[in-house]
Order: sequence, then C-alpha cells, then structure tokens
Amino acid sequence: MPYKLSQMLDRELKKGSAELLILSLVEDQPRHGYDIGNLIEQRSRGRLRFNVASLYPLLYRLERRGWIQGRWVEKAGQRRRRYYRLTAEGRRVLAAQRNSWQEFVEAINRITGIEHA
Amino acid sequence: MPDWKEEVRRRLSRLNLEPAREAEIVEELAQHLDDIYERSVKAGLTEAEAKRVALKELADTELMQKEMRRSHKPTSQAPVAGGGRTSVLADFWNDLRYAIRLQRKNPGFTIVAVIALALGIGANTAIFSVVNTVLLRPLPYKDPERLVMVWEEATKAGYPQDTPAAANFVDWRDQNQSFEGMAAITDDSFNLTGSGDPERLEGQRVSTNLFPLLGVEPQIGRVFTAAEDQPGNERVVLLSYGLWQRRFGGDAGIVGKSLQLSGAGYTVVGVMPARFQFPTADDEVWVPIAFTQEDAANRDRHYLRVVGRLKPGVTLAQAQADMSTIATRLQQQYPQSNTDLGAVITPLHEHLVGDIKPALLILLGAVGLVLLIACANVANLLLARAAVRQKEIAVRVALGARRSRLIRQFLTESVSLSLLGGLVGLVIAYVGLIVLKAFIPENISQARAISIDYKVLGFTLLVSLATGLIFGLAPALQSIRFNQAETLKEGGRDAATGGSGKRLRSLLVMAEVAISLVLLIGAGLLINSFLRLRNVDPGFRAENLLTMKIVLPDLKYERKIQRSAFYTDLVQRVQSLPGVRSAAVTTNLPLYLQGNSISISIEGRPEPPPGQEPIIVTRIISPGYFDTMTIPLLKGRPLTDQDTDDSPNVVVIGESMARRYWPGEEAVGKRIAVGRVKSQEDWLQIVGVVKDVRQFELTADPKPQMYLTHRQYGFFDAQDLVVKTDVDPASMAGAVRKAVWEIDKDQPVSDIRPMETILADSIARQRFSMLLLAIFASVALVLAAVGIYGVMSYSVAQRTHEIGIRMALGAQTSAVLKLAVGYGLKLVAAGIGIGLVAAFALTRVMSTLLFGVTATDPTTFTLISLLLVAVAAIASYIPARRATRVNPIIALRYE
Repeated sequence: MPYKLSQMLDRELKKGSAELLILSLVEDQPRHGYDIGNLIEQRSRGRLRFNVASLYPLLYRLERRGWIQGRWVEKAGQRRRRYYRLTAEGRRVLAAQRNSWQEFVEAINRITGIEHA
Repeated sequence: MPDWKEEVRRRLSRLNLEPAREAEIVEELAQHLDDIYERSVKAGLTEAEAKRVALKELADTELMQKEMRRSHKPTSQAPVAGGGRTSVLADFWNDLRYAIRLQRKNPGFTIVAVIALALGIGANTAIFSVVNTVLLRPLPYKDPERLVMVWEEATKAGYPQDTPAAANFVDWRDQNQSFEGMAAITDDSFNLTGSGDPERLEGQRVSTNLFPLLGVEPQIGRVFTAAEDQPGNERVVLLSYGLWQRRFGGDAGIVGKSLQLSGAGYTVVGVMPARFQFPTADDEVWVPIAFTQEDAANRDRHYLRVVGRLKPGVTLAQAQADMSTIATRLQQQYPQSNTDLGAVITPLHEHLVGDIKPALLILLGAVGLVLLIACANVANLLLARAAVRQKEIAVRVALGARRSRLIRQFLTESVSLSLLGGLVGLVIAYVGLIVLKAFIPENISQARAISIDYKVLGFTLLVSLATGLIFGLAPALQSIRFNQAETLKEGGRDAATGGSGKRLRSLLVMAEVAISLVLLIGAGLLINSFLRLRNVDPGFRAENLLTMKIVLPDLKYERKIQRSAFYTDLVQRVQSLPGVRSAAVTTNLPLYLQGNSISISIEGRPEPPPGQEPIIVTRIISPGYFDTMTIPLLKGRPLTDQDTDDSPNVVVIGESMARRYWPGEEAVGKRIAVGRVKSQEDWLQIVGVVKDVRQFELTADPKPQMYLTHRQYGFFDAQDLVVKTDVDPASMAGAVRKAVWEIDKDQPVSDIRPMETILADSIARQRFSMLLLAIFASVALVLAAVGIYGVMSYSVAQRTHEIGIRMALGAQTSAVLKLAVGYGLKLVAAGIGIGLVAAFALTRVMSTLLFGVTATDPTTFTLISLLLVAVAAIASYIPARRATRVNPIIALRYE
C-alpha cells in the first residue's frame, strides 16, 4: 500500500523523519539527488518514494540549515552533478534524530507488541 | 531526450529566485528528470510514456513551491521569468520594485531624468491649469452653454460687435422668439461715501432680470424685483461678497441699510456669493438700470451690453436668424438710426474669455513640445543605460525570458520614472502657478480662480503615463533587438554602441534640435514683437506722469459749471504743489480700451447717409493737457484758458484726422460739429493739429481723434487727472489726493498709477505670452544642449580607442576635435534643417500674436539657427576636448 504510505510520509515529512532518511543516506558518502531518491525507493522496496517536487525542496531546506552541503562535482565524460555531503552539524543532528526515532519505534513496538523480525 | 528545463522553470517562476540560484536548481532538477526518463526507457517504456513518468515527478508543484519558498527568500534580482502562467499584476509589482531599486542604485541618472521630466510635465500641468480654468471650466452660472451676448453689428462703421442703444435692446427683448430672457448691463462707477474714506467702486447698472437669467442666488437678502426696474424704484443695490467683507466686515445685518453712492441713498437688498462675478471680478456693486421713457426711446447712444439666455433646444444659428430678422425690420422702421445695423450673437464664454485663447493654445502646444524634448532626452539616457545592460538582457533571454515580458519590464521602469517626474512636476506646477498668477493679465476672466483641480491632476497623471510609454518604448524595443550570442561573448561590442542604437540616438538628438528650434523661433518672434511693441511711440511721453481717477457724482455736481469749476480749481491746486510741473484732466487716459467716439459733420460737405458719418475718437480735456502729456503741437495753437463759454467754440484735432478729411488742405480754420448741425453755434473751429495718440491700444494704428475743452463742452465728464512731476510720480500720490480732499472731502480718488504702469499693463498679455514662451524655449534649449552633450560624450567615449590610435599616430588635437565636433554639428545641422521647415509651417499659427514682424521673419529664423549651432558646438566641443586629453597609451588599452 504505497499510496497510504506516501500520504503518511507527507505527514512524517513535517515531523522530520524524512530528514532522518536523507541525513542517513549521505552519512557515509556524498550523493546526488537522483541517487538519494533511488536509494530511498530501493531500500524501502518501493514503499517509500519521493518525487522531484518533494525531494529537492527538502534537500535545499537541509542545506540551508547547514546539515548537509551541496557541491557541483564534474567527473570525466559526465555531466556535472550536485553532490550532498553531511556537515559536522548534520552529523550531530543525525545522531540525535536517530536516537529519538529509535525510542519512538521501540515505544510503539512495546505498545503494539510487535517483535523484531 | 526532452528538454525539461522550460518545464521546471515554469514551475519555479512564481518564486522569483535569484537568477543564478534558479539556474542551478533548474539544472539539478532537469538532470534528475533525465535520469528517470532514461531509466524508464531502459525498462522498456515508450518515449511518450517515459516522458509522462518523468513529468509526474513534478506533479506536486504547489507543495514544491511552498517548500522552496521556505528555503529560498525571493530574489532582489530581476525576474528571469519566461512562463505564461505568471500573473501580470505580480509581474508588474516585481518589475516596479526592481525599477525602484535600479533607480536608487543610479541616483545621478534618476535625478537627471526626473528633473527633465518634471520640467516638462510641470510646465504642461501649469499651462493646462490655466487653460482648464479659463477655457474649459464652465462659467459659474446655471446652464452656461445657453448664455450668449447679443451685439449690434455695425461692420460698415468699423464695429462688427457694437453695443446697442436702449431702444434697440428693448425691441430685441420684446420681439424675439428664441430667448428665455435678455438683460442689458452697462459699466458704471460709484463714489461710496459715508463712514470711512470715500471710495470709488466699479459696478454695473443691470436689467433686474439679470440674476434669474444667470441662474444665481444671493448669499444673503434677495436679488432685484421687476418693479425695481422702473425709474423711481431703482435706489437699491446688491453688493459683492468682497465689498461686503472688506468695507462692512461681513455685517450680517447689512440688508436694509442705506449707502451713499455718488451722492444718492441706496438700500442694500442683498449680497452675492463669493464666487459670483459678472461680468468681471472688478465689479462690486449692481444697481437696476431702470430706463426712463427717454432712455428707452433712444437709438443713438450705443452703450449697452446685452446678455441673453437661449430657450432650451434653440441653437445659436436659430437665434441668430431670429435676431437678424428683427434687425432688418428695425432698419426699415428706423432708417435714420438703424441703417446698416444688424444683430450678432456670440457665446458668453467667448466674450468673457476674450482674445487670450490663441495665446493659451499656443503656449499649451509649446509646453507639449518641451515635454517631447524631455522625453527624447530621457529616452537617450535610457538607451545609453540599455547598452550597459545588454549583458543582463542577453542572460535573461538565454534563460528563456520572453521579449514581451522584457518590454513590459522596461516600460514599468520608464513609467515609474515618468510618474516620479510627474510628482515632482506637480510641485513645479504649483510653484509655477503662483508665479504665473503674478504675470497673468488681470482682466482675463477667472484669472483669480486658476488652480490645480482634479481635472488637472488627471491630466498630469495621463501625461506622465503617456510620457513614460513614449520615452520607454524606444529603449525597450532597442534592447531586445540585438545579437544575443555576440553580447554574451566577453568584450563583444554590443549593438547599441554601433548600428541601430547609435542611429536611434542620433535621430533623437536631431528631433530635439528640430523641436527646440521651433520653440526658440516662436519665442524669438514673440520677443521681437514685444520689443517692437515697446518701441511704439504712443504719441505722448509716459515718464514722470502720475494718473488717477476722480469721478464727480452727478447729484452733487449737477451743473456743468460746477464741474468745470472743480476741475479748474483742482488743476490749479495740484500745479502749485512742489514737485509738480503741470496737471490736466481728461475724459479718458490713453491705452485704456475705452472712451468715446462721436460722429461729426464737416462744414461745406454734404451730409453723409446714415451710418457713414465720420466717427472721431473724442477726448474732453483741460487746457494744459498737451503740455502735461508732452503731445507735440504740429500746427496752430493748443486749447487755452481763454477758450471759455463766452468765446467761439474750438477744437484741436489729431494729424490723421487732418490728413483724412482735409488731404492737401490746411485743416486749421475749418469748422466741424458734433452730430448734426442744428444752429450756427454748434460749429467748432479747428485751431490746432497735434500728433496722434494711440488712444486704445499700442498695437492698433491711431484712429482719427480730436480734443475739446471742458470749459466749452460738458457733455462728457472728465474723470482722469494727469500730473507731470519733477520727482518720482508715485511719491506725489498723497499730496495730490490731499489737494482733492481740500476741495471736497467726500470725493474719492482711485486708480492712482504712474502712466508708465498703464503703458506696461496695456501690453501685459503680450508680455505674458512672450515671457512664458521664452521660458519654455530656454528650458527646451537647455534640454537639447544636455541631449547633444550626452550623445557626444557617449560617442566620444566609444571612440576613445580610435582617438587614441589617431593621437598615437601623430594626429593633431585640432584634427581630432574637428572630427568629433564635426559629427555633433552634422547632427545639429540635420535637426536645424527639419526644424526650419517645421517652424516655417508652425509659426503661422501665431501670426495673430505678432506685431511688426511676419511669422517667417528671416532675421529671427537666421539668428535662432545660429544660436542653436553655437550651443551645439559647445556641447560637442567639451566631450571632444576631454577625449583628446587622454593619454594615448590609456586610450589604446581602453575597453
């Protein structure tokens, strides 16, 4: 039920969990927008999808807050692409968000009785 | 692969992002779409399907915009917009803000442009205020378009619009079918005595139906009743608001009180409202005209002005036909008096506005031209700036901005400039009007009511908008007509520096020169006329002459002998004052546009048919008048104290009368009579001939004229005193007035003015038109000079490189100067050529304003052209000179 999920995601967007996804994806290495969008879709097995209209505003917002930083990178034989990497501040925020997300999930699980697979 | 950029840009357009940032985002998002498209195609989708999939990514535009807005502040840069979905209003708002920022960034440019525009718009507003009040605003009476003047037409006698006699007026009034009503008025003046200093008041004797006919109500009290138009009931008076305030302190109980006017008691019945004036603002009292039986039967004394109200639906032509029928009938009925007398109707408005109309229209045209020059100047400035901004434009076009969108933005910029100019122009107009009112001839109808009203404001707004569109269009069109790729290249020579931009600017300068030439020639012609007018010999010497009005009331000075005694006593007393050389009285001073003309009979000549008697301008004077006025005696002797009732009646005539009626003969010794000869005692012997005096106006050739002595002839009253002084005439006013009051303490003295003031006032209208046109032409000249200077500076700056090479190769400074100035002069010469042709055609419309010069006066045309060439040469020389001083090394490096 990807449709419902994406609706839910819209709400989550506002709460900041989408931010968590993006920050996590650029934690290890800089990635460009398409890459980020693709990874979200792949790793969620198609359940989570950002379209261009919602992904990029989010990226820009994070960049503006100074959590990620975009830079144009040219590679031989390719068009230049804008890669986003995590900043020090972003790293701190990611750690905090990860924590609270885990607490949140655990809390939900404790109530609903769902065990980890 | 589809180009996504346009799609993306369209969706971002409302955000007004900074162009560079926008370009980045567009690039990034387009890439993403490319990737999606590629993936879809690889997965086996058709191109159309793949495109649909990619575009779906952008479906959530609103969310994107909302999100983007949070992370991006709107730009402070020019909108790059290209999309069609943007709202015109939002664009306008952006353009306006951009324009304002642009103007703040270039204060020098803005100030110059706004000043030029403000001068043009301000001058237009000021003149339009005058035109609006004097020509356009309806007269302050009810249904003023139905109000007309009815004149006696005596063209054969030289009076196409004459004042009718009372009996003719009565017949017109009673026999016509076309008028709701008809009222007669005649100028009169009254000596107000009683409390306070005696004062002379201008006023009108009027038919009592005048006020209902005009459709006006009194402020307090009532207007006249019909019964008050009967002799015996006419001692009632209506006061003007001004008089009521000034003399009676706005006394609410004034109605019913009695006033002494010229020695008779009048009861105040009402006060007219402040805005009421009829016929002029000088009139302060109105009394019933109350024709006696004798008056009402008189067809020889032509002294009435007749105003009528047409019945609804009756046209001027119908009324004219009606009146002509009546006039023809009267001609047959009264051949003795009415032969060759018609009736002619003119709109009241035309009568009250008078002959200022052509001058005002010409001034309005002139300020329009000044504004055009200002437009050309600002257009030039904008063109120069557009050249600088070519890169900006090129980038925006490259990013997809539409040309219509760019034009709109340019126009927003120019219109915001012109609106600013309009605002400052309003201030200029406001100040200008204060100055203007000081110069505008007093006798122009409604001159005192001239003001800036909502119509004027509307006019200013319209003119400002139109101005902005006119001068903004050229640069707007220019700036989008260039080779984009060329401009984007580093150091590429942009189109506006050569080719069409330069041509356009050159054309504008030529137009400016041409228009200023027309204005300058117009002003030159008027100045020339005015100088000639001032050099016209009026026939007397105005220096050291003091004049004043002393009108004796009929009741107190009933008999001729009393009046004569008063004048004789007065002249003697005044002459004995220290500082006074001589003094005299006359019925009318020269140059007052009023005075009596009477028909005469000549001894030994057959009686001419009715209507063709010689009409002679007549002045009743005291002996000594010629000396006092310095009117040279050509033949015979002047009038003297020895010419009295007991001696033979004598007359002194002017030279043109002598020439006309006794050509090749000796006029002295001949006899004439006033009117028809009834007895031998009516004959007057011509004892002298004097030089002609321009009795009515300086612009008109003197008419046949004669002088009688008040001691022999008492039909008219002397009313003006002239005093020749050894000192400043104005300083004698108090002493002379005291001398009058020693004889009669109740006798008002008014209009105390040096003769030189009267002379100056008589050409006030000409001075008014001349001064204004001269001011406008000077503004035009300055603007044109600035325009030439601007274009030359720019052109020289562009050629600095070339000039550097020439100088480095050993060119003489003079040769380079010649080259640069030569270019400027070529432009000016072309402008002058066009201007001369235009001036030749246009100045004809001012021929009625000219005096002593033709509308195509070659001297004026030549001198003004030379003046313009000189100004242009200087304006070209300064920038050229600067260019030659440049170090060639620097010039060669110059980019």
